[in-house]
Amino acid sequence: MINNFTVSGSPHIHKPESVSRIMWTVVISLIPAGIAGVIIFGLDALWVTLVAVAAAVLTELTFGILTKKKITILDGSAVITGILLAFNLPPQVPLWLPIVGAVFSIAIGKQVFGGLGQNIFNPALVGRVFLMASWPKYMTTFTPSFDAVTSATPLAALKEGKALEHISYLDLFLGKHGGCIGEVCILALLIGAVLLLIKGYISWHIPATYIFTTAIFTYIFGAAQLFHGDWLFHVLSGGLILGAFFMATDYVATPLTAKGQIIFGVGCGLLTAVIRIWGGYPEGVSYAILMMNAATPLIDRYTKNRIYGTK
Amino acid sequence: MKDMARYGFILAVICVAAAGLLAAVNALTGPKIIAAAQAEEQAALKEVMPLAGKFMPVKSPADNTTLYYKAFDNQDKLIGFVFKASGKGYSSVIETLAGVFLDDKISAIKVISLNETPGLGMRVAENKFTGQFNQQDSLNLSGVEAITGATISSRAVIDSVIKKAQEIKEMVKNDK
Amino acid sequence: MKDLVKEFTKGIIKENPTFVLALGLCPTLAVSVSVINGIGMGAAATFVLLGSSVIISLVRNFIPGKIRIPCFIVIIATFVTITELCLKAYSPVLNRALGIYVPLIVVNCIVLGRAEAFACKNNLWRSFFDGLGMGVGFTLALILISAIREFLGSGQILGRTLIKGFEPVFVFGMPSGALLVIGLLLGFFNLLKNRRS
Repeated sequence: MINNFTVSGSPHIHKPESVSRIMWTVVISLIPAGIAGVIIFGLDALWVTLVAVAAAVLTELTFGILTKKKITILDGSAVITGILLAFNLPPQVPLWLPIVGAVFSIAIGKQVFGGLGQNIFNPALVGRVFLMASWPKYMTTFTPSFDAVTSATPLAALKEGKALEHISYLDLFLGKHGGCIGEVCILALLIGAVLLLIKGYISWHIPATYIFTTAIFTYIFGAAQLFHGDWLFHVLSGGLILGAFFMATDYVATPLTAKGQIIFGVGCGLLTAVIRIWGGYPEGVSYAILMMNAATPLIDRYTKNRIYGTK
Repeated sequence: MKDMARYGFILAVICVAAAGLLAAVNALTGPKIIAAAQAEEQAALKEVMPLAGKFMPVKSPADNTTLYYKAFDNQDKLIGFVFKASGKGYSSVIETLAGVFLDDKISAIKVISLNETPGLGMRVAENKFTGQFNQQDSLNLSGVEAITGATISSRAVIDSVIKKAQEIKEMVKNDK
Repeated sequence: MKDLVKEFTKGIIKENPTFVLALGLCPTLAVSVSVINGIGMGAAATFVLLGSSVIISLVRNFIPGKIRIPCFIVIIATFVTITELCLKAYSPVLNRALGIYVPLIVVNCIVLGRAEAFACKNNLWRSFFDGLGMGVGFTLALILISAIREFLGSGQILGRTLIKGFEPVFVFGMPSGALLVIGLLLGFFNLLKNRRS
């Protein structure tokens, strides 16, 4: 989408594209990952997702009524926030957790800034980080799924120095391991991502540079010896794929130009790898994206297109 | 120049008055502060070594800091030692006070200073974790289980206690 | 008399140091974890404000304008040190909870701000009530913030558990939670102000 996004003078061609159309397509593209989550973790995953979506939409509605603004629940953005938040939760959390998280996402992460288009951070990640800081016990407890090899997430096991019990790259790719609802099945995530790329709703710049940077960095520094890191493991585990395609590409909180997006992606990849290798938490995708969201206005300022006729 | 001298004089007067006032307050509160600190120290020592009746600090000959405490029972018999162990946790240095009997068994421990993640690392200060140390061998501590999700903080407490217990054992041996 | 009452009450609502002037936020963010800390910090700051306001308004004609800031700081620091010594002697527990933030009252903008903006231009009684009002306003703001944070962050008020089975929202016990609570309260009070006018 961004490549077509050249700001220019008239005449403009009208396209049937609209905010709600794009948003609902993103919702559709997230469905495969949701189905995979339900297959892997059971119906709990479905309830968590539905509850989060319902809470997000209701909060959006409440704010619309309270502030007497246009009711925006049908544009699908609140639905996406709810889904993405749920996808970042462990499947067996108590059901009040997604509710509180979704309310916080929409209220504090989005509406206090003025609603869709004004938020400086990805709302779903704001909600997730809030839950992570508030109830770490629930957010870091992963109960084993029916055919998972191990209950702890692969990254947590790595962080605690435990041997990874025969987890193959294929298991990681298909999602046969502990983790959050929407992040485990890379295959399903890629199906959705391809849809968005074909439609042109997201560009390759952020996801590609993000994943590539993380891979390079974990390859160099991921092991005790330089250039011996297990980069494929790092790419396939944790929330990297979900984050790179669906959260780091948030229209509002990411840079506008291709150059800016590449800086954004590299920054995300660097931060993710740094947190994973040296940080206190096993996973750093949410924090990396939020930090780069905060840097977005600065990136935009230094990468904006030159106005014709000026220096 | 005259102004400078005047300013200096006024500032000096204010400073002298302030210093005098502070000296008076210090004289009044000084003994109380020392007494309060001592009472607190004794209470903390008593908590990790309830069987003891009296504690004696053992000072380092080099710089006069307290290395550890000898604990005596009511008949003035030496029953064990109390020491402060510190280890680097997840986001702070965790200080633990530990009471150890003569046979290396731990009487009790108490985490006295930490600043870890609430809900995870902070739980090492809870009884559920520290209670596991009671009656364990202070040089081994394999019976103590780390808190799930707070491995770094838990290990900091466990390892620092083991390390310090070994040091104290060496020191006591050399004393004899 | 009416004048003095006005000097006292303006610090509580109209010119509340925390929510309107947005002064002294650093200790507010740091110590407002529990109500008892809030009260302790508020009382300590009030004592310093009161003492420094009174002394500065007494000696205001004696201090030349050019060196007024160092003079103010010495006077404020004296009161802060007295507070710290007394806290250490009579309430070591509270002293440890407030930690470095008691000595840091020296650089609390409310104290120097009132000295500079009010006490050095007004007589003894007006300065006294101004300092008292500001202190009380600061204390009330601290109690409000710390009550919200203590309740949400640990499920307790003054160390007593209110609701059984409440899962504490740990983030409110952390500095980030303090920023969140203060930000939302500031927004809320501004909303009230805008509604009224």
